[in-house]
Amino acid sequence: MSAEAEPGSGQEPVSAAGKAELDRAFSELYRTHLRDVYSYAYYRVGNHHDAEDLTEQAFLQAYRHFERARRESNGRPLRPWLIRIAHNLASNYYRDRARRPEANIEAIEPPMHPHGTERVVEGREELREVIDKLQDLPDDRREALIMRFALGMSNREIARALGRSDGATKVLIHRAIKQLEEAIEAEHAGPEAT
Amino acid sequence: MTDAAGNPRLEQLLADALRPIDPPEDLAGRLETTLSDIASHAAAELSSWADDLTESELEALRDPRNWVRPVAAVAVGSAAAGALVLVGMRRRRRPDGLRDNLERLLRDLRPQ
Repeated sequence: MSAEAEPGSGQEPVSAAGKAELDRAFSELYRTHLRDVYSYAYYRVGNHHDAEDLTEQAFLQAYRHFERARRESNGRPLRPWLIRIAHNLASNYYRDRARRPEANIEAIEPPMHPHGTERVVEGREELREVIDKLQDLPDDRREALIMRFALGMSNREIARALGRSDGATKVLIHRAIKQLEEAIEAEHAGPEAT
Repeated sequence: MTDAAGNPRLEQLLADALRPIDPPEDLAGRLETTLSDIASHAAAELSSWADDLTESELEALRDPRNWVRPVAAVAVGSAAAGALVLVGMRRRRRPDGLRDNLERLLRDLRPQ
């Protein structure tokens, strides 16, 4: 019962078989990228409870627009699109509830490492410092680093997720790392250096 | 990852600090249930809609011979609209009639 498409409407009806195929494809997308979306959400909001909410909302929203996204992606990966949805939802999360990421991200504990005890303590302090300094970065720089390091996204993927050009994204990441490096160096140099 | 900047040590620290986080087990299950509920709901709606409009009804809707009734309805509607226009015109003419009657009455009352 496949009806004729209305050009440009973006709401073309799909057949029952098409719907089943779409659901199967979405299920695959969801299984492949659940951890990515959850990781991104967690590093944005800083706690598991809200990260779960955000992840759930992101996938529900993605499900609603999946057919169109798939059609318009021309076979390109949909991960940047998913992360962009989560990014927009996270922005609304802060705007609507008047919460600031700084308050939450401090609660993020550095992950455990399978090393000796002394190295673990030392390593955790270093990681704690990186996470602390990360929160002082401007939002777009912090987000780009989350996408790069927590999700392993390429420059091109990050560019698509943030709606920027590849070149602008490369510069953004470069400046983010540079700023982080300088902040850590300043910390180690002591208060007299600043 | 080296295309980002030139500090491998800091990049390694970032990679360690920002490790991917596994979602809780129940989130995956809950989300899957919600999505399958939505899919079932949509399928049920599609099915009931298809029940209401059978294939023959859809075929009948496409048949130009069945457009007579809508055309007749349009014609009846136009006739009704025409009748309303006539009534309106008569109503607008009524003040003249009243004036005629009043003039006649005054003529009758006028002393000869």
